[in-house]
Amino acid sequence: MENSSLLRHQIINNLMAQHTEKIADAAINLWEQMATQIISIVGEGGFNSLYARSLFLTQSTFPWLSADSTASKTGQRFAELKKSFEGQSPVQVSEANSLLLITFTDILASLIGEQLTTSILCSAWGNDASDGSGKEFKHG
Amino acid sequence: MNRNDNDDTSKASDPGQPVVTSRHKDKLPESLEKNITRRESTVIANEEAVISREKLATAREDAAHVRENAADLRERKATSREGAAHLREGNATSREGAAHLREGKATSREDAAQLREGKATSREDAAHLREGEATSREDAAHLREGKATSREDAAQLREGEATSRERRIHVVEMKQAASEDHVAMLQQANEHLVIATIEAQKLAEQVQMAKNQLDYLAHHDALTDLPNRMLLQDRLNQAIELAHRQGRQLAVMFMDLDRFKHINDSLGHSVGDQLLQSVAQRLLACVRHSDTISRQGGDEFVLLLSFIEHAEDAALSAQKMLASISQPHRVEGHDLHINVSIGISIYPDDGRDAETLIKSADTAMYHAKESGRNNYKFFEQNMNDLAVQRQSIEASLRRALERQEFVLYYQPKINLHSGVIVGVEALIRWQHPKLGLVLPTQFMSIAEDCGLILPIGRWVLREACLQARIWQQADLLPVTVAVNTSALEFRDKDFLENIRATLKDTCLEPRYLELELTESVLMRDAKSTDSVLHALADLGVKLAIDDFGTGYSSLSYLRQFPIDTLKIDQSFVNLMTSNADDATIVSAVISMGKSLNKQVIAEGVETAEQSASLLALHCDEGQGYYFCRPLEAEALATLLQTGVLLSFTD
Repeated sequence: MENSSLLRHQIINNLMAQHTEKIADAAINLWEQMATQIISIVGEGGFNSLYARSLFLTQSTFPWLSADSTASKTGQRFAELKKSFEGQSPVQVSEANSLLLITFTDILASLIGEQLTTSILCSAWGNDASDGSGKEFKHG
Repeated sequence: MNRNDNDDTSKASDPGQPVVTSRHKDKLPESLEKNITRRESTVIANEEAVISREKLATAREDAAHVRENAADLRERKATSREGAAHLREGNATSREGAAHLREGKATSREDAAQLREGKATSREDAAHLREGEATSREDAAHLREGKATSREDAAQLREGEATSRERRIHVVEMKQAASEDHVAMLQQANEHLVIATIEAQKLAEQVQMAKNQLDYLAHHDALTDLPNRMLLQDRLNQAIELAHRQGRQLAVMFMDLDRFKHINDSLGHSVGDQLLQSVAQRLLACVRHSDTISRQGGDEFVLLLSFIEHAEDAALSAQKMLASISQPHRVEGHDLHINVSIGISIYPDDGRDAETLIKSADTAMYHAKESGRNNYKFFEQNMNDLAVQRQSIEASLRRALERQEFVLYYQPKINLHSGVIVGVEALIRWQHPKLGLVLPTQFMSIAEDCGLILPIGRWVLREACLQARIWQQADLLPVTVAVNTSALEFRDKDFLENIRATLKDTCLEPRYLELELTESVLMRDAKSTDSVLHALADLGVKLAIDDFGTGYSSLSYLRQFPIDTLKIDQSFVNLMTSNADDATIVSAVISMGKSLNKQVIAEGVETAEQSASLLALHCDEGQGYYFCRPLEAEALATLLQTGVLLSFTD
C-alpha cells in the first residue's frame, strides 16, 4: 500500500514536471481527463464534493488557489482554477497543482482504495502517466 | 367405329354394304338411303352424345376453372382456349349443316358423313383429350393448391420464427435497459456515498477543531492567552519529574502587580485588562521559549524556569522582568506606570511538589510587597511562619465580628486657627484576644481579600453613627463623624440603602455623617459614581476625598461631583517642610480647594512646623498626631466637653 501510494504521488509530480511551458493548460488538462473518469463513477456531485474538499485543504498551503465549486459544466469547472494559476509562476503552479492532485487522489484512495484509484488514474491519463513515471501502473 | 370409313377394298369385298358412287348418287336405292339416313342419324346422335359429353366436360372445366381461379389467375387463358374450342365446334356444326345440303351427292355426303364421323371421332378423341387435359389441369390445380398450402405453412413457420426472434430481441432489450438503469443507480449511489463521506470528514474535522479549541481554552487564560493555572500545574509537575531524574534545580516565581487595583478602580476594567495584556507581553519577552509564564488570575502571574544552574539565574530573570514591567505602558492614551513584586522558590530546597513550590513563591512575594514593592524576594523558611500568621488572622477575622472584638477609635479634626474640634474620623481597631490591639493595616487587606470588608464596613458605619448620636444626646459638642468607605462597599448594590437605614436606625442627622472615599473609588465608572454621590448629597451626607493627590483625579469630575472636602494626603504633609515640591503640591491643593469652594484638611500633621506652614498656606483644618492621637469614645467625649484641644488653650 505504501509503495503504491508513493508511486501515485510520483506519477503526479512527474506529470507536472513534464510541462514547463503552458503549464496552466497542462494542469487543467490533467484535471479534465481525470474528471471525466471519476464523474462516470461517482457522478457530478461526488466529484464536486471531492474537488471542493481538496481545494479547501490545499488552500492552507497555497492560499491564492481559488475555484468556483458550483461551476459544474464541462469547460467551466476549472475556469477559476486556471485563473488562479495564471497569476503565478510556473514553479508555483506546478507545486500547487501537484499538491492539489495528490490531496484529491489521497481522499479518493481513502474512500475506494489505492488499487481502484490507481486504475482510474491509468484510464484517465493513459500513456502520459506511465511515460511520465517511467514505470507502468501496477494494480495491487 | 371406323368401319364406315371410305375404304375401296372393304367396299369391294363387302357385298352386303351398298356401294354408292357419285355417278349413281341420284339413283341410290331407298334402303341405302335409309341406311345413310340411319347412319347420319347415328352420327347426329353420336354428335349429340359428343355435344352432351362436351357440355359435361365444359361443366367440369368450369368447375376446374373455378378451382383454378382460386389458385392462379393464369387459368383464364385456358378458359379462353376453351371458348375457342366451342367456336370451332360451332363451325363444325355449320359445316355439318352444309353437309345436309350436300346430301344430294351421296358420295359427297357419304364422304362427308365419313369425314364427319372421322371428325366426330376426332372430336370425341379431342373431347377425351380435353377431359384428360381437364383432369390434368385439376391435378395441376390440386398440386398448386398443395404447393400454396405448403407455402402458407412455410410462411406461418417463418412468422413463428420471426415472432420468436422478436421475443428474444425484446428480452435482450429489456435486459440492456435494466443494465443501464443499474449503472445509473450505482453512479447515483456512489455520488451519495462520496458526498456523505466528505461531509462526515468535514464534521469530524470540525468536532476535532472544537475539541482542540476547548482544550486550548481549558488550559489558557482568555484575556492574555497565557497558559492558565491548570496548564502551569501540569508543566510544573513534568518539570519537577525531569529535574528530579536529572538532579537539577528549577525556579518558580510568583508575581503580583503593585497597586493594580487602583488603576483598575480608577480607569476601569477595560484599561486594567489592556494593562494586563501589556504586562503579559513584557513577561513573555523576558523568558526563554522553554519557560512557562502563566496567569493565575487577577493581577497574579507565575513563571516556571524549568532549568536553572544556580538560584542567581532566577534573580537575573526577576531583575529583567522588574525593569521591563516598570517601563510605561501605553493604554488608551494613558501612560500607565506599574511595578511588580516577585517571590521566588527553588526546587528542591523550597518544596518538592508543585503546590508547595507555588505556595512558597507566593509567601516570598508577600514579603517582597511588605519590603516596599517593586522588588523580588527568595523564599526563606521563616516566611512560612508569617504566612501561617496571615492565615490565622483570616480565620480569626471571621469570628471577630461575632465576638464583637472590633472597636472604634476617633481622631479629632481641628480648626487650625481656633483649635476647635470640627469633626472626628472613626478608625477601626481589632482587640485580638491573643495579639492585643491590631491596627487596620494588619488585617484590612486580608478582610478585603476574603470578602469580610462588607460586614466589617457596615459595623463601622453603624457604630460610628450610634456613637455620634450618643455624644449629641449627652449634650456634647455636635461634631461630624467621618467613616472610611472602601471601593467594595461603595460599589455594593445595597450601599445607599444601608446608609439610609443606618441613619434612620441611629436617628443621626445625615449632615453629621461624612464618608471618606479615595480618588480611585470615585474615578472608576464616573457615571455611576456621580449618581451615587448625588444621592448621598441629596440625603445630606457630606463627602470627602481621602488621600487626595495620590490617585488619579479628573479635575472636571472634581467640579462635577458634590464633594465637600479634600483631604491632603499625609505623604505630602510629612515632607512639605523639607521638600519644596511637596510644599508646592500642598499649596496648590489648598488653593484649588478654596477656589472650588471645598473644605481642605491636611492629614498626618505631626509637628508644629507643619501646622504653622499649613496655616501660612491658608489651610483651615488639620488632623494628626500633633493635635491628637486616635482616642476611644469615652476619652474623646471628655475632649468634646470643651470642644477645644488643650494645646490651643495653653
